[in-house]
Amino acid sequence: MTTIIETLNLRKVYMLGKVPVEALRGVNLKVEEGEFLSVLGPSGSGKSTLLNLIGALDKPTDGKIFIEGVDVTTLKDGQLADLRRRIGFVFQFFNLIPRFTARQNVELPMAIAGLGKEERRRHAEELLKVVGLADRMNHKPAELSGGEQQRVAIARALANNPRFLLMDEPTGNIDSKNAMEIIQLVKRLNQEKGITIIMVTHDQRLASEANRTVHMLDGLIVDETVNKP
Amino acid sequence: MKITDIFSYAFSAIKLRKLRAGLTTLGVVIGIAAIVALLSITQGLQVAIATQLKKGFATDTLIVTARSESGFKLLVNDTKTIEEIGGENVTISLAVILRTGYIKSGGQTSRVTIVGVDYAKYAEIYSSTFTAEEGAIPQNPENSSVVVGKRVSDPWSNGTLFCKTGDNVEIIWTSRPFKNETYMGNVVAVLKEIGGFSLGGPSDTSIYIPIKQAQTFFKTEECEMIVVKLRNDDRATIESAAKAIREAFGGQVTVISSTAILNIISSVFSTIQLFLAGIAAISLLVAGIGIMNIMIVSMMERTREIGILKALGMKNRQVLLIFLSEAAIIGLLGAVIGVGAGWGIAQVTVRVFSTGVGFGGAMRQTNQAALANGITISPVLTPSVLSGAIAFGLIVSLLFGLYPAWRASKLKPVEALRYE
Repeated sequence: MTTIIETLNLRKVYMLGKVPVEALRGVNLKVEEGEFLSVLGPSGSGKSTLLNLIGALDKPTDGKIFIEGVDVTTLKDGQLADLRRRIGFVFQFFNLIPRFTARQNVELPMAIAGLGKEERRRHAEELLKVVGLADRMNHKPAELSGGEQQRVAIARALANNPRFLLMDEPTGNIDSKNAMEIIQLVKRLNQEKGITIIMVTHDQRLASEANRTVHMLDGLIVDETVNKP
Repeated sequence: MKITDIFSYAFSAIKLRKLRAGLTTLGVVIGIAAIVALLSITQGLQVAIATQLKKGFATDTLIVTARSESGFKLLVNDTKTIEEIGGENVTISLAVILRTGYIKSGGQTSRVTIVGVDYAKYAEIYSSTFTAEEGAIPQNPENSSVVVGKRVSDPWSNGTLFCKTGDNVEIIWTSRPFKNETYMGNVVAVLKEIGGFSLGGPSDTSIYIPIKQAQTFFKTEECEMIVVKLRNDDRATIESAAKAIREAFGGQVTVISSTAILNIISSVFSTIQLFLAGIAAISLLVAGIGIMNIMIVSMMERTREIGILKALGMKNRQVLLIFLSEAAIIGLLGAVIGVGAGWGIAQVTVRVFSTGVGFGGAMRQTNQAALANGITISPVLTPSVLSGAIAFGLIVSLLFGLYPAWRASKLKPVEALRYE
C-alpha cells in the first residue's frame, strides 16, 4: 500500500477578530491509497480545518502536507488550482450552482479542466447513472431532494477522476434514511472503484462505516480505531 | 477552461439577473447613443456646410476689400495694379460693385443686391455657379443686360415667376440726396440655382449688371471688392499673393483667402465636435461606474459560487476572465444598441431641426447676399466613429469591470465557501 496523503505536525491558527484560535495543534496523519478513513470529532475539534488543508483550500500556519509525495505547502496559487482538479470535494451544503441542471453541475469541473462539450456530456451522464440519478439529469438543484443533491455533488466530485474524495459532513443536511443510502454509495465507490475517501463527521454510527476512524479533539488526533467490516 | 465556456458561463450569470443587467446596459446605451448622435449630427453639419461653401468659395481666389476704418476706397481700376504686382500668380482680377436696390417687373417690385461685374471674367472665376439655366450670359454684354439669380426669377420656388429671360425690367437705386435713379434693363439670363452662400461668388438673390453700366448708373469709380483668381490654390501661392497685395496697398486692404476661411471653419467644427463628444463621454463614464457598482454587488452575492469554482480547480485568472466577460458582454451589447439608437436620434433630430435652419446672414459682411433657403443636413456616421464608439463602450466597461473582477479572482477559497 502506498501513502497518498501525509501531514507532518500540521498547525493552523485563525484570527477570530483579534483573538488567535488554534484550530490544529500539530496533526500527524497518514492515508493509504484505497482507504476509507473517517475523521470523527465534536464541532470545533478542527476536523473541517484539516480537510480544507488537505484539499488545498487553505494554507497551514505551520507544518507540511504531502500529497503523493509532493509538499503542497510550497505550491503557488495556480499550482494549487491544478491540484484541486485532482481532488473531489463533497460539502455538507452540497454547494451546487443553482442555475445549472444536475448534468451541467457535473460538467462544470470538466469544463474548468478544459474538456470538450461532447466528452463532458457523456462522462457526466455516466457519473449520474453511477450515483443513481439517470432520470433526474435535467433537473435543477431546487427541484431535487437533499439526498439527490448530494448524489449530484458526489458525481461532480468524481468528474475529473480524482485521486481521492474529501467529504465534509456529507450527510449532515440529509434525513437519516437518505444518509444511510449516501454512505452505502460512498462505500460502494470505495470498494468497487478503489477510490480513496476521507470523510469528516461527528456521527459515531456513520464514522464506523469506514475502514478506519481517527478521533479529533481540540486540534489534535487523540485516538484511532480500525473498524470491523 | 475554453474561452467559449468562459463566455457561456458569464452569459448564464447575466441571464440570471435580467432586469439588473438590462438597466446597466441601458447606461452604456445612453452614453454611446449620445456620442454617436452628437458626432454624426455635427459631422453631417460640417459636410453640409463644407459642400455649400465650396460651391460659393472658389478655393483659388482671394477677396480684397478696403479696411473699413481706414476710409480707403478701392477703385475699379485697381484691378490693373493687382495684376501687375501679383505677376504670374494672378490670372484674373475682377472689380465688384455692390448696391442694394430694387427690380421692378410687371408692376411688382423686389429688393435685390445689384452686382456690377465683368460677365466674362466672373464666369471664368465662378465657372460652376455663374452659369445660365435659361438664356445665355453674353461675353460682350449690352449696357442694358441683366442676369438674375434663380430666387429673383422664381422667388417662391413654385414656378410663379417674378421675371424671366427676355423680360424688360426696371432697375431702381436711390442715390443721394435721396433721389430714385432708374433705367430699363433686359433679362438675358437666369442663373442655375446655387443653394449655398458665398464669399465673393454669385448668389441666388442677386442681379448682375455689366461693370461699365454699374459705374455709369451708380456714378462711381469705386468698387466694394476685388476678386483675384490665382494660378492655383497652393498655400504658398495664396500667401505670397496675399502678402504682395496687402503691401502694395500700404496695409489699407484686407485680403481674405477662401481656403483660409474653409480651414478655420473646419477647425472650429473639429473643436466643437471634440467638445460635444467629451460631454457625451462623461455620460459613458457614469455608465462605467454603474457597471462597476453592479459588478461589485454581483461579486459579493456570488462569493460562495466563486468559492465553489475555486474548489473545483478554477484558477484566479479564469475567475477574472469570467467577470471581465460579463462586463464585456454588457459593454458590447450596450455599445451596439447605443450606436443604433444614436443613429436614430440623429436622424430624428435632423428632421425636426432642418425644417427651420437657415444660414442667411452668416456671411453678410461681404455685402453679398446670402442664401434664402436652408441647408439640409444628413447625419454622417463614418466607419471610424462607428468602430470607435463600440470600442470605447467596450473599453470603458472592461476598465470599470477590472476592479470587481480582480477582487473576485483574489478571494480565498475557504473564506469564499464559508460566506453566507
